[in-house]
Amino acid sequence: MPVFIEMLMIVLILLDVVLLGVSRLGAFVRAVAVQGVVLGALTLVANSGNLTLRIAALAAVSMAVKGFLFPVMLERAMRGAGVRREIEPFVSFVTSMAACIVMLGVSLFLGWRLPLPDGGAGMPLVVPAAILTMLTGLFILVTRKKAVTQVVGYLTFENGIYAFGVVAVGEVNAIIEFGVLLDVFVAVFAMGIAIYQINREFDHIDTDHLSMLKG
Amino acid sequence: MEEALLLWSLLAIPALAGAGSAALRPQKAMLAALIAGVGAWSAAAALACVLVFGRGPAETAFGWLRLDALSAYHLAVMALICFLSTCYAWPYFGEELRRGRLSSRQAGKFCLLWGGSISAMTLVLVSNNLGIMWVGVEATTLLTAFLICLHRSKPSLEATWKYILICSVGVGFAFMGTLLLAVSAKGVRTDPTDALLWTNLVAEAGKLDPIWVKAAFVFLLVGYGTKAGLAPMHNWLPDAHSQAPAPVSAVFSGFMLNAALYCVMRHVPVIEAAPGCEGFATGLLKVFGIFSILVAAAFIVFQRDLKRLLAYHSVEHIGIISLGLSLGGAGAFAALFHTLNHSLCKTLSFFAAGRLGQIFGTHDMEAMRGALKVSPLWGTGIFAGVLALIGVAPFALFMSEFQLVKAAADGGSAVSIILFLVGGSVVFLAALGHAIPLAWGDGGGREKQKAGAMELALVSLPLALLLVLGLWMPESLEAAITGAVGVLTGAGGAAGPPVWGAGG
Repeated sequence: MPVFIEMLMIVLILLDVVLLGVSRLGAFVRAVAVQGVVLGALTLVANSGNLTLRIAALAAVSMAVKGFLFPVMLERAMRGAGVRREIEPFVSFVTSMAACIVMLGVSLFLGWRLPLPDGGAGMPLVVPAAILTMLTGLFILVTRKKAVTQVVGYLTFENGIYAFGVVAVGEVNAIIEFGVLLDVFVAVFAMGIAIYQINREFDHIDTDHLSMLKG
Repeated sequence: MEEALLLWSLLAIPALAGAGSAALRPQKAMLAALIAGVGAWSAAAALACVLVFGRGPAETAFGWLRLDALSAYHLAVMALICFLSTCYAWPYFGEELRRGRLSSRQAGKFCLLWGGSISAMTLVLVSNNLGIMWVGVEATTLLTAFLICLHRSKPSLEATWKYILICSVGVGFAFMGTLLLAVSAKGVRTDPTDALLWTNLVAEAGKLDPIWVKAAFVFLLVGYGTKAGLAPMHNWLPDAHSQAPAPVSAVFSGFMLNAALYCVMRHVPVIEAAPGCEGFATGLLKVFGIFSILVAAAFIVFQRDLKRLLAYHSVEHIGIISLGLSLGGAGAFAALFHTLNHSLCKTLSFFAAGRLGQIFGTHDMEAMRGALKVSPLWGTGIFAGVLALIGVAPFALFMSEFQLVKAAADGGSAVSIILFLVGGSVVFLAALGHAIPLAWGDGGGREKQKAGAMELALVSLPLALLLVLGLWMPESLEAAITGAVGVLTGAGGAAGPPVWGAGG
């Protein structure tokens, strides 16, 4: 159902804009949670022709993990670390928006150069939306100060990859899909533990203070 | 049947040994059990390698697990490095114990994560499915992350954070590359579930969609290259290597980087055989390889910290291996031989750096002058290690680098030779400038340290191997490397036409 897939891709793009534009940490985490739910829906829509129990389970698990579990974990990490509720980027939000436009241009260009081989008819937004989401994640990673916001950047990046995989590749294999999901889950969990330890040792989680090791 | 048993036990033994020894008390018993477990695993790995080199690839689990000449060769290197490093944990953590710096909780954590990461690295090597291989690499990253901050301090936490974040994102790129490769194979196979099996991809490489294949390799190289420490994605590497406890640094540098580079190698025959992609993968490998050598050379000149110095040497040598791979044929042979030599030599150097660091209480090379006087054994270890690293004859690294230059000359890549020699000479002079005062200073009036039998063995065994391999290449090793090169070039692989033949 290309029309629905395209609509979800537009939602994904809009959520990238939100992620780059919001200044409140709570709204920021919620935006990435909504993205997780959208991806769950995307899993169902992309496979609507041959909906099996396995795909339904994958959609449910990824929705639960990305839309619910991760945001809760991040909220707890923020509360535990007592961080300020603003995002504090290194660059202004105007710059972020300008970067967003540039990244959108790059994504559209790459999408035009990489047409999906088959089954891509009527879905010109899949590749650009996935690439934009990945780029947004990377941009958040390098321009936002707090460890928690960097985790959100990583999640956004992963969401972009997932969106591409679920539509463009389709069915790979359950073991791989669950293996990947498990890895992402453990990665975020590990980052949570690291944040906790950094917070205990440094009394803050501003990663720009993590600058002892150079050269 | 026996193949299945062997492959599955290779995956299971380290994790079980780690978990089992973590349950023991006190710390000494844990370490002893871990050494026994990893020893058993190394024996199983050796047996598997003998089988593969004798009879050909071993396969099980519907072809999802597969050990061929290339992975068996890497498995052999890994078994050697991991066994030595686990043995080294005995004297290293023994000293920490004497100083009361290793609680049983920390020792348990070490055993658990150590066993787990060996299992994860084995999974990387035995996976025939490129998706599962990716899962193995990511699992390795996550399991080893908390080994870096075994002793919790501000710098070690900083290194852990950088490591988790940079490598997770990097490996994310690799996953995107794997997906792009799956897209390129769409339409080739009707059954998508086995599309990511390496054997299928190699067999049908001629039908892959070239645009997607090229995009895939860019992502794969950046992704796995981050984990392998190729410049400019190497930023996490010096931090993690310098902050981790020495046995962990030894395995990081001695094998974890190679495991990531192995993932790149796996993709090379597929990419090169795709229509219109000949020379694409090797060209990129060459650029990244030379860039890594030059960047590492620049940083080696200004290093003050011994372990960071060794970490930049890893960047340099991973660059050298990539350069060798890019030359194909004889160059790939030199690269794989260099893998073994570098791993051995780097393990020895990190062993020495770790023990000397404990003796001097710092890794600052200014403060560590006179290592030979204070600890003749480890002083010899570090000095010989650095000499071997910079390619002094008759150590084996000289031989593999010589073979590499010869392969490049035969292939007519003059620019590569010049840049490689420039980087190599800078490293040679700079490292020698660091190592001579380190070895022959006055020692600051410290007492001479005695060393045990285990420590003596841990210095002399790698050193003897490096010397022997520098002077004489055993036939079995030559056959093993030739077999592995065959997989890389498509000649001795499972299927598919030969793709990037000898010369360059």
